Amino acid sequence: MSRRTAVLICPGRGTYNKAELGTLARTHADHPLIAEWDALRCDTGQETLTALDAAPRFSAARHTTGENASPLIYACSYLDAKAAYNSHDIVAVTGNSLGWYIALAAAGGTSAQTGLHIVNTTGTLMHTKAEGGQILYPFVDENWVEITGEQAKLHAIIAEINDQPDHSLALSIHLGGMMVVAGNDAGLTAFERAVPADDTRKPLRLPNHAAFHTGMMEPIASLSRDALPQTLFTQPHTALIDGRGSVWHPRAADLDALRSYTLGHQITHTYDFTAAVKSAARNFAPDCFIITGPGTTLGSAVAQTLIALKWQGIDSKQAFLQRQSEDPLLISMGREDQRPLAL
Amino acid sequence: MDRAAIVHQNFLHRLAANDLPDGPAPDPLIPPSKLVEIFRSQTLSRQLDRISRVMQSKGKGFYTIGSSGHEGMAAVAEALRPTDMAFLHYRDAAFQIQRAAQVPGQQPVWDMLLSFRAAASDPISGGRHKVLGSRALNIPPQTSTIASHLPKAVGAAYSIGLARRSPPEHRHLPDDSIVMCSFGDASSNHSTAQGAINSACWTSFQSVPMPLLFVCEDNGIGISVPTPRGWIAANYTNRPGLRYFTCNGLDMAETLIVSQAAADYVRRTRKPAFLHVTTVRLYGHAGSDVELTYRDKAAIEASEAQDPLLHSTRILRDADVRTPAQSLDIYNEIGKTCARVAEEVMQQEPLSDAAGVMASIIPPARACAPSNGPAPAAREQVFGNDIKQMSEPQPMNRLIGWALADLMLEHSEIIVAGEDVGKKGGVYGVTQKLQNRFGPDRVIDTLLDEQSILGLAIGMAHNGFVPVPEIQFLAYLHNAEDQLRGEAATLSFFSDGQYTNPMVLRIAGLGYQKGFGGHFHNDNSLAVLRDIPGLIIACPSNGADAAMMLREAVRLAREEQRVVVFIEPIALYPMRDLHAGGDAGWMTRYPAPDQRIGLGEIAIAGVGTDLAIVSYANGYYLSTQAAQALEDAGIKTRIIDMRWLAPLPEAALLEATKHCTNILIVDECRRTGSQSEGIMTLFTEAGRPRVARVTAEDSFIATGPAYAATLPSTDGIIAAGKTLVAS
Repeated sequence: MSRRTAVLICPGRGTYNKAELGTLARTHADHPLIAEWDALRCDTGQETLTALDAAPRFSAARHTTGENASPLIYACSYLDAKAAYNSHDIVAVTGNSLGWYIALAAAGGTSAQTGLHIVNTTGTLMHTKAEGGQILYPFVDENWVEITGEQAKLHAIIAEINDQPDHSLALSIHLGGMMVVAGNDAGLTAFERAVPADDTRKPLRLPNHAAFHTGMMEPIASLSRDALPQTLFTQPHTALIDGRGSVWHPRAADLDALRSYTLGHQITHTYDFTAAVKSAARNFAPDCFIITGPGTTLGSAVAQTLIALKWQGIDSKQAFLQRQSEDPLLISMGREDQRPLAL
Repeated sequence: MDRAAIVHQNFLHRLAANDLPDGPAPDPLIPPSKLVEIFRSQTLSRQLDRISRVMQSKGKGFYTIGSSGHEGMAAVAEALRPTDMAFLHYRDAAFQIQRAAQVPGQQPVWDMLLSFRAAASDPISGGRHKVLGSRALNIPPQTSTIASHLPKAVGAAYSIGLARRSPPEHRHLPDDSIVMCSFGDASSNHSTAQGAINSACWTSFQSVPMPLLFVCEDNGIGISVPTPRGWIAANYTNRPGLRYFTCNGLDMAETLIVSQAAADYVRRTRKPAFLHVTTVRLYGHAGSDVELTYRDKAAIEASEAQDPLLHSTRILRDADVRTPAQSLDIYNEIGKTCARVAEEVMQQEPLSDAAGVMASIIPPARACAPSNGPAPAAREQVFGNDIKQMSEPQPMNRLIGWALADLMLEHSEIIVAGEDVGKKGGVYGVTQKLQNRFGPDRVIDTLLDEQSILGLAIGMAHNGFVPVPEIQFLAYLHNAEDQLRGEAATLSFFSDGQYTNPMVLRIAGLGYQKGFGGHFHNDNSLAVLRDIPGLIIACPSNGADAAMMLREAVRLAREEQRVVVFIEPIALYPMRDLHAGGDAGWMTRYPAPDQRIGLGEIAIAGVGTDLAIVSYANGYYLSTQAAQALEDAGIKTRIIDMRWLAPLPEAALLEATKHCTNILIVDECRRTGSQSEGIMTLFTEAGRPRVARVTAEDSFIATGPAYAATLPSTDGIIAAGKTLVAS
């Protein structure tokens, strides 16, 4: 009997928090790659992943900055992906934001070691050079169904704020039933004031993030290209879905274009995670979607996207939860109860 | 065994045995990853053909004409850019799939399977037809099997140069783009294809830009009739203004290299090229076609032995890119993907109800920049001394010409095109001075081919222009009417409103030219137009109405993207008098440029309720003559000018006649198939018992003294009116 097919989804920043402290050791203790990655971090004078993961307590200042958070998330997610390959027939890999670099490695577009090098490099650049921040804001109701006209309203608000002098604001990520906006402090503050905040939803500023996926990242993209040559990229062995919903097919990728996208468009333009999930569903129709660890926050964005597509008849949060209780379509490896389903 | 299954089994066995057809090594300059990508597109095309049969067998799919054998078109797509508009042959799934790889965020498997499913969510046709096409991929849908999409490809290619000089508001194609159209070897024989290719050559021969790539997919057979060996090459190797390229379409590497050369030639020189792609046809013509009834088994097997996927596998092997076993993995992987996606697609609802089917017959409106009309100073410059004459009564032909000039002044995207419309100013002088006023770019003297004129208009409209083509005489429409019926009128329908070709087609027509021309210059049948869904037919009876209706026609085209046919009654062009020589009763003053007559707005002359005469054009003119005699006979009469013949202004006609005891329909078109049939039905169904009609006889029109013998006359109308009232 053939194995179940799955699309792997790798998470982005903000998924390694207090609750995730120790995840690497808990889920992949003694994996030989961890030692290799630690050695790489030592070489650059950075704290090892093992030490970060084994810290006695979670520190936002220590664990959520780009140079540390990104590699930690990369390590947990990459090793989860490797494990999922053993249990499922992985038909495609995608990710959200930082998750793109993880997906790149998990699909063979670069090696495990190089993947960490890329994440380390870009994460450090983000930490030391990047400006601005991000805000998360939903446009769906409590049933995860889009509030009619809400997206258009938010787009108009973003455009209006961005037109004001000294304000910079842009759409950073399409994230299922949420949007992430990014910009400078003036832009972000104006957005927080402009949108409704109540019990059902309010703008959430993401700590230690920068104005990812906007034109403000152009200097970072340029420095990344200086630091990361073409030779780091290899032909993927599994289909890769990027932050536009485009598919890079196995051994059919133009590696110049892959690098150009990874260190260019992907950094400086809106990341459309919603399109990536839509592409995963409609181009591959897997038996299930597996979100690698750490954390569990990406599940709602994936579910909201599937609801918007009415995928397999799922048209509401309730219908989604019903389906999950019967035959899980979405497996979150960051959840204790679902993790075994991917192993 | 079904031939699709045989081809599949052959593929599996021959790859397992490493038994692949011979051929040259690929150009080493082609990146290995590109070869794999093209092979993947080819394979997806093939697997979609196979899955379409599975869907059909389950009652969940409705179309199985496939692309098998034509997978080399993936390499042609690779040689082009997504901004190059492509009018595709129905066997070009591989082209569309490869192009999908060039545009971010596409989902070709899903989209094409939805098309097989006739699903309401099919992104190109909304489930109305299995067509190739995609707005995102710049592929307008085609339903043609006879290359009737070639004339518009010529028009679209011509429009690129025109838009460079005068960009329309809704421009779509960039300066550096080219247009591609593809068709089979058999349909290249069709007169429509021949006309289009000839038009492209005629244009290119004069060094007018025509960046168009014709791609002839020569599989050697048209349904059951073989194409003579060497016929395509012999036909197109030495055509004036047309560069010929040829490649073996079984060889994806050669096809890519030659296609790149051809595309580069067209892009660089802005001249047309003919790319002859030889290939094979697998699986017969269509799902229901049993090829063995007309083709011997050895020939079928010979084609199957040349399966392009076998050649591609050989190329990947010989270039050390993929072993046959690895290629087989790709084939199987894509097959499984198609099967999984198909399972999901089969759950999608097909289009099912009439309202859903009809929703896109009428295209959506589009936002256009507002205009305050032509500026007075600009009008003075354009019209010169004509402005003084506008306050004096004038015949219809002058008023139409002025209305055209005002419209062209106001909307730079309007292009007039037709035989003799430029220097000569039209056979009846309607377009006189237009070319002097607006230049040969905007007033185009075309070659003598109505299919090309309409194709030019359709193609230009794809690029944001609002064409006002002219067919010189109504009878000349008939050799080209499929361009309206099968192409222009259906584009919105088959693209779910995503593609449109708005235009105002002017046609000089109808009878009553005294002694001139006979049938071919006095055709009096509009039947070929009046049943086309969504088409608007306007037919004015006098100059002022004509000017105001033409403005509405242009508004309908420009803002509502409609296809409007504007019938101009030739006999009324110069008409000055109504009752007696010198009474100037049929001349009108030129209405101010902001005045329009809305679609469906009819005219009512008189208030009588004994008799209502419903007519249009010459019939309305004759009825106006007859009215006096009827009034003299004590019959209180009103005369109604329908103005708009399609859609029939039903509500307005019923309202205008509701207090009238008798209704007489005067229709100068033939008794059979004329508007009168629809109007009689309208009144009968509305419960109006006293209705009669005067029509033309079911005859062609004679020349000489008998020119009006078969047509309604003033006396005939008077007599019919009296008879009806007295009955």
